[in-house]
Amino acid sequence: MIKMRNKIYKSILFICSLLWFISCEKDLPTYLEYKDYSYSSTDENGGTWQPILIDEGAAINIGVPEDISSQSYQAEISAIKASTDEINAPQRKALTYWGNNAVVRWNEIALELIAKYNLIPGPNDDGSYTLPNPSDPNGPPAFPFAHPPYACRALAYLSVAQFDGLISAWHYKYLYNRAAPYQIDDSITYAYEPNDIPSYPSDGAVLARVSKKVLSAMFPLEKEYLQKLEDEHLESLLLSGGNVPSDISAGITIGDEISEIALARAANDGMKNAQAPKVVSDSIKAAAFERFGWQWENLEIPVRPVGLTPLFGKVKMWNVANVENVRPVPPPAIDSDAYLADVSILKDYADNMTEEKRSIANFWQDGLGTYTPPGHWNRFANEFMVEDKMNPLRSARTLAYMNMAIMDSGISCWDAKYYYHYPRPIQTIEGFKTIAGTPNFPSYTSGHSVFSAAASEVLAYIFPEKATLVRGWAEEAAISRVYGGIHWTFDATVGTDQGREVAKFTVDIAKLDGAN
Amino acid sequence: MTGKLLLLFRYKRKTQKDLNILILLLFTVAFAFGQTPTDGLMMPSKNICILLNYEAGHFDRYWEGDDLRRNETIAMVNRTTILPMAAVGIFDELNFYIGLPYVKTKSSETNGGRFEGAKGFQDIMIALKYKALERSLGSGRLSLFTTVGYSTPATNYLSDYMPYSLGFGAPEFSLRGITQYQLNNGFYVRGMVAHLWRGYTEAERDYYYNSGSFYTALMDVPNAWTFETVIGKWYMSNTLKLELNYTGLKSTSGDNIRAYNAAQPTNKVKYDRLGVSIQYYSPSLKGLGVVGYYNNVVNGLNTAKMGNVGLGLTYQFNFIKNTNNDQDAQ
Repeated sequence: MIKMRNKIYKSILFICSLLWFISCEKDLPTYLEYKDYSYSSTDENGGTWQPILIDEGAAINIGVPEDISSQSYQAEISAIKASTDEINAPQRKALTYWGNNAVVRWNEIALELIAKYNLIPGPNDDGSYTLPNPSDPNGPPAFPFAHPPYACRALAYLSVAQFDGLISAWHYKYLYNRAAPYQIDDSITYAYEPNDIPSYPSDGAVLARVSKKVLSAMFPLEKEYLQKLEDEHLESLLLSGGNVPSDISAGITIGDEISEIALARAANDGMKNAQAPKVVSDSIKAAAFERFGWQWENLEIPVRPVGLTPLFGKVKMWNVANVENVRPVPPPAIDSDAYLADVSILKDYADNMTEEKRSIANFWQDGLGTYTPPGHWNRFANEFMVEDKMNPLRSARTLAYMNMAIMDSGISCWDAKYYYHYPRPIQTIEGFKTIAGTPNFPSYTSGHSVFSAAASEVLAYIFPEKATLVRGWAEEAAISRVYGGIHWTFDATVGTDQGREVAKFTVDIAKLDGAN
Repeated sequence: MTGKLLLLFRYKRKTQKDLNILILLLFTVAFAFGQTPTDGLMMPSKNICILLNYEAGHFDRYWEGDDLRRNETIAMVNRTTILPMAAVGIFDELNFYIGLPYVKTKSSETNGGRFEGAKGFQDIMIALKYKALERSLGSGRLSLFTTVGYSTPATNYLSDYMPYSLGFGAPEFSLRGITQYQLNNGFYVRGMVAHLWRGYTEAERDYYYNSGSFYTALMDVPNAWTFETVIGKWYMSNTLKLELNYTGLKSTSGDNIRAYNAAQPTNKVKYDRLGVSIQYYSPSLKGLGVVGYYNNVVNGLNTAKMGNVGLGLTYQFNFIKNTNNDQDAQ
């Protein structure tokens, strides 16, 4: 897939190079470029879908909009006309950037912040390590360390809050049926493909406010940057001809309320205790040794005293009642036949590394400094949503279910990791070397495998024509960790089954939410 | 291969500026490569010089941005390079060069990362050097050379695997200008300036962070300027040459290595390197020479504090007649 894309890209480069002297400008892509499209559905009944955090779309109150014949509404229309007549170049660029599905853009902004903050704190000069501290986010090290558990949780809260906010927006859109400015006044041209979705309250404003608030809580050092993005997005909504200011302020009301509800859940979901102190971490390790006779050790120099988020497995799940219900079977005992067979497989892969295996290991690595595996699957989802011409509500639904499943699977994976505390290949195979970085947490099961399997199950449900494709990708992501030398094959295979099983709980709920 | 070659031709805003610089260079400076890559020598017509060079480099500190640090994840990184190269005298004023280094990298034991090193052929390089001018000036001779060079990865090595990657994985087009002034007593000074146009390298992932998201496997390897200043002297009837040299490199764009994170090919690299070299041509074994050198990076940005020791053998012979050309290589 990656190769094909690059072939196309290189051909473009080739043509550009021929036109070198006639100044051909093209930059490397920094976001998903798409042309605005006509939505494949408007989802008139979207306001009746079952939200996640609130009881129903009507649970949030906004006022009754002014009638389009009212003086105040007419004044809003006149103001819009005046400002759309004077659109400048940066505003035009912003209109193109935000497009007609801002769910994609805010998701990409989240992915970018994850990549920016996905840096593991290094050791201090005296060999100790300092943890990022939310009450002193500047650090060093800066808060947060956006590792995969942190990333999947940030994405889940963002997507769930967006989804609930849009259900509420849809409820009022079709309750009040106030048409968009460009539908009311012929002299206003919509910046995107026209549609029949009522404009009060503005779904774009819901997205802008929810996303700014949730992401500001998750990435406190980015408040200013996110405020700038929200301002630009809100201005863009007015300039598009799709909203008047009263549409926007009603959307903001919903956004404020739903993000508060989401962040209240986040504050008490157990994440703040996930990075356990050394005493707790040591007792978890000792319990595993007592139970199984093995324990994972960090081999970094200097040694990291605590693994990554030992208690992430205790974080509140979205759709699974008890994490222990989905805990996988124990891994093979060290020195058992199954274990020794795996040692041979890993040694064989390492000794006979091929370019194909290497590129699979790297394509799915999504390691430090990147958007992590949950981010990688969000990127796929964004591409599919645009390809399917989904409206923002359906897009938010896709990401909400996918990211809940990813987070639940991550919680289940971490439960297994610290319950079984299984060693990594470099710990038990003498002299073993890897081509991927060995992470700071136990081996069994593989996070990549679990995250990817869960994500692929939700995508397979929402995009059935892609089911075989995405399930294949999930299996490739799983085995990529074995090729990288940092996981056992059973970490990958059991992890894939685990991710699929956990995702079922979420898919079962999605099936009944009224969107089908 | 063709695709990679074409990648060389940049297509961005900066291209136009670079083009102007290129034209300026073409008209104002002349250039070089040598019997060894950095000298001010020419091969006589119909002669070939073969060089086989062994280089051992290592570092245990590197600059993360401008902060010089250690990192026990990689501990001491060793880098061994074996370079076979040939210089061909097409005319007395025009030489052709071709070389292909073999590189091997690994960390010392024990290290905290347990990463596998890398090995393989790096970039094939070709160059043409032209002696644009040579004239007497005062009690010495002034020479101007121009070299145009091209290099591109010879194998599918992974550039996005720093610090073990064999090279930066992109095609490079270089224009070099060398000016040398040599006194009749064998003392000489040389200055070199070059611009390096570097294309895109292809990672095996299609997302990376470079002060923002990039949704592509292509990474822009920054262009660079490089400079060299040399003071040297010939001894023993022009058979022994001693040189002290300074080499500088400065990327024109790029990002910093992030905290405790791996370097990547998009980084902005700068360094100042000091070195010494000695070269000896045996009068008894006609055509045979030996070169040894040491250099160390003393200051840098997003680069390793690398120290290199090198040893090379050169053999020069006439490929038309079965006799060595009596004229010395200088």
